[in-house]
Amino acid sequence: MSDTRERRNIANALLRFLPSAAVFVAGLVAWELWVNVRDVPAYLYPSPSEIGGELRDEGLSLAVDDLRWTMIEAVLGFLLGSGAAMFAAVVFVHAKFLERVLFPWAIVLQTVPIVAVAPLLTIWFGFTLTPKVLIAALICFFPVLVNTTKGLRSISTQAVELMSILSASKWSIFWRVRIPSSLPYVFAGLKVASSLSVIGAIVAEFTGADRGIGFVIIQASYRLDTRLMFAGIALSSAAGVLFFNVIGALERLALRWPDARLDR
Amino acid sequence: MTNSGGITIDGVGMQFDGRQGVTALDGIDLDISAGEFVTLVGPSGCGKSTLLRIVSGLLEPTSGRVDVSGKTPNQARRDVDFGFVFQEPALFPWLRVLGNVLLPGRVLGRRNPNKGPESAEIARELLRDVGLEGFENHYPGQISGGMQQRVALARALSYGPKILLMDEPFGALDEFTRDRLNLQLLDVCNKAGSTVLFVTHSIQEAIFLADRVVVLSPRPGSIARIADVPWPKPRALEIRYEPEFAALTGELRGLLTVEDEVESAMNQP
Ligand SMILES: Nc1ncnc2c1ncn2[C@@H]1O[C@H](COP(=O)(O)OP(=O)(O)O)[C@@H](O)[C@H]1O
Ligand SMILES: [Mg+2]
Repeated sequence: MSDTRERRNIANALLRFLPSAAVFVAGLVAWELWVNVRDVPAYLYPSPSEIGGELRDEGLSLAVDDLRWTMIEAVLGFLLGSGAAMFAAVVFVHAKFLERVLFPWAIVLQTVPIVAVAPLLTIWFGFTLTPKVLIAALICFFPVLVNTTKGLRSISTQAVELMSILSASKWSIFWRVRIPSSLPYVFAGLKVASSLSVIGAIVAEFTGADRGIGFVIIQASYRLDTRLMFAGIALSSAAGVLFFNVIGALERLALRWPDARLDR
Repeated sequence: MTNSGGITIDGVGMQFDGRQGVTALDGIDLDISAGEFVTLVGPSGCGKSTLLRIVSGLLEPTSGRVDVSGKTPNQARRDVDFGFVFQEPALFPWLRVLGNVLLPGRVLGRRNPNKGPESAEIARELLRDVGLEGFENHYPGQISGGMQQRVALARALSYGPKILLMDEPFGALDEFTRDRLNLQLLDVCNKAGSTVLFVTHSIQEAIFLADRVVVLSPRPGSIARIADVPWPKPRALEIRYEPEFAALTGELRGLLTVEDEVESAMNQP
């Protein structure tokens, strides 16, 4: 029975996805027509079919040589930034004083334009992975911090009273109540962070790299190779969507109870 | 004095500071002996929930004191002498029904009297008792509010607390389920010898369950009347149709209605 329900869910999901896909295809067709009818210079405005050809010829080597590094940076940054943010959130929830002292600085950190910080990190760490991972981590930190803090605070007074009646230790309350009730918020934050992390990695690559999608795009822009630029954009977007959906799948695995997920 | 399960409430008052400084309770004196079933009735806002919170050590009274078999409420709470059924079920949505009933045992660990594999058996049996057999693996979000409240009852009973505090636990249930659970509750408490302090809106329910009914009047919450209920236990639902039952119901309702009239008179501009 649950098998047919599962199948129906998948069918529903596909149906829901259909209009968006139609819009996408319509956009591509319009773009293709416009490029052909207006006879615009191809080096400025490559048509979707030309970009497709570029992806066919270069896609594999782009993915293996460059996208791989971008995603390694993004994922490492995501893990570092989200991990640090969760740790900070746990500290904040248990020490209000520290939160008062440190949270304003978290906001400052968040408002610093990462594009401005990236060159500095490149000077400090050179053309290594480190500045890219740090930038990706930086961009992931805030959404996860805010969501996790909110989640850890989302426990009801009655849940606390119940645990109090059971004479539960602080640790037990943390483990059995705070953590589970925070999970929906944590995952909402992680999903935002997952898509931001790819952006962070690419921006960091702009300022100093010898490989990665950001590097490819910058190099291609010097040569006015807009086809390659579009190919890079398409690939990195696809990878970002994939990363987001991996986190989404983990969310579905972790949040199995009804109405657990916040964004549906 | 070691009558385990007895409660002495001595001149308890509770004042909440807020903009107006509500006096929720004033001069409450009540002696509850071990194994006694006492019900509290009264209009909303007369401090019933507050009194349960004070007895269980969740709230410190602003005057007077409570003695729970020689301990302060806080000591008794730390010794897990209380089971509490809240007005809302307060289940953990991420645990299945069985998991929610097993939760106290897991939290108590070595302090749980029903240890080991038999604790799961006891939990299943309790769920059967409250009519939820077959729902063990449902999530709270998949069952009705009334069923959730029954899970909360099973959860409170799962570790055999000496004293059961229940805050309008059956308010959300239909009449038939309520009757059945009333009988079940009397049975369980009788067997376990638990002391019960039970809050309800229903005068009938209050009389049917109780050895003594305490009628509270509001503003400030104080005891208007303590009525002994003469029927021996175990009781059958049919006693509710006896003339004496109706007479007692009428008498207590009269007390509450007078309160209501005073209240509405006070609310006139
Ligand atoms: N935490 C609180 N802070 C301020 N006032 C409260 C608080 N809890 C209860 N009260 C007030 O105390 C009175 C009694 O409340 P309560 O015990 O919940 O009544 P009941 O359970 O009989 O309906 C009400 O007037 C209520 O507004
Ligand atoms: Mg109440």
